[in-house]
Amino acid sequence: MLSVSHIRYPKVVREIPLHKGRNVMRYEFPDSLSNDFEGYSVLLNFHEKTRNLFLDEVILDFKRTSWFEANLCAVLGAVLNSVENDLNIVRIENLIPKIERLFRRNYFLGHFGDMKIRDLYKTAVKYRKFRVNEEKLFKNYLDFELLAKAVMPDMSNLLRKKINESIFEIFNNAVIHGDCQNIFSCGQYFPTKKRLDFTIVDIGVSIKQRVDEFLRQNLSGEEAIQWAVTKGHTTRTGNIPGGLGFSLIREFLERNDGKIQIISGNGFWEQTGKNAKSSRYPYDFPGTIVNLEFNIDDKCHYYLLSEIKEEDIF
Amino acid sequence: MNDIRINIFEQIGGSAAVSTEDGESLYKRIVKALEQKARVILDFNNIELLTSTFLNSAIGQLYSRFKSPYLKAHLKLENLKKEDLELLKKVVERAKEYFKDKGRIVNGAKEVLG
Repeated sequence: MLSVSHIRYPKVVREIPLHKGRNVMRYEFPDSLSNDFEGYSVLLNFHEKTRNLFLDEVILDFKRTSWFEANLCAVLGAVLNSVENDLNIVRIENLIPKIERLFRRNYFLGHFGDMKIRDLYKTAVKYRKFRVNEEKLFKNYLDFELLAKAVMPDMSNLLRKKINESIFEIFNNAVIHGDCQNIFSCGQYFPTKKRLDFTIVDIGVSIKQRVDEFLRQNLSGEEAIQWAVTKGHTTRTGNIPGGLGFSLIREFLERNDGKIQIISGNGFWEQTGKNAKSSRYPYDFPGTIVNLEFNIDDKCHYYLLSEIKEEDIF
Repeated sequence: MNDIRINIFEQIGGSAAVSTEDGESLYKRIVKALEQKARVILDFNNIELLTSTFLNSAIGQLYSRFKSPYLKAHLKLENLKKEDLELLKKVVERAKEYFKDKGRIVNGAKEVLG
């Protein structure tokens, strides 16, 4: 069981406002933010500290931060989008050159800074915000930015297709179940580890809210996620079947030796290879964060094993 | 029995069959053809990407109105890649399970029939 007791949350400082009438909150980010329980915990804490601000100013102070895994920009961007929707001013300060380069390469500073967007970084996976009906734009984004051959030349076509499918299952889940307006995404490729991390975030309704409503129970966040990722479980009630998306991804990532992390409500759930673990946070996230980690060094030979005949389908 | 061929690439206007909406439009066309007692040939030529979401909506949903032997006799697949056949098989198995609950079939039928 993972625990939050050892996590030291960043310092929050109130300052004298630059803009008349606005309160200023300075949030000092820690040394390092990674794709793990602690990393998400900091971003959930940041959401908690900013969720009730209105017409204020929020400064994200990165003076201590020397490591930030780029796909987490999807989470930070989703939270900042909510902060700005409440008419707060967002400022990012004291980025060390390495992190500033990262935030420029993935265009994050084009959204939350003064960066002029020019398509200089064709190999970087960009931070993007999509409306829920923009699945065709999202497809282009995957084809030309995330899975472009220039970025990942060694990958087999079948693997490329399986990654695309997995990501789309998550995108569609957010569209169908998230009750949200926007979907935020960002990725990071780790060439030496041959790993690709891709994160999709929606803010709307958490898995816990959906599952509790459907089962008429009061589960914890982690229990609700565990229920939702079980094959055959769905909160859909109409005549379009559901309950398959997560199990397909889990099965693929198990074979691929990849990883899936889900954060929703106050729950954290992770499957690495065949092993799953879960935990809970002291705060609620009012939506869902899904991070998929793919092993790019995978020739997908296992897909040649099954022989299904068309006459056995229906 | 008449054969009606549906070119899915043309129907959805692209090579990515991924959304519920596109699946729904295909579903409606299949139902229209099946109501005419036609045999429907689903041509997946040029389809590069398929998701369970699309297939649930286009094909899984058919099990709310039609029984398995009828669909077996009236649906034919063409140009579906081997790995996609595996996905479709899972979607169909799931749909049969989902509609095993009779109440769901009744509710499903009510929605279709308005």
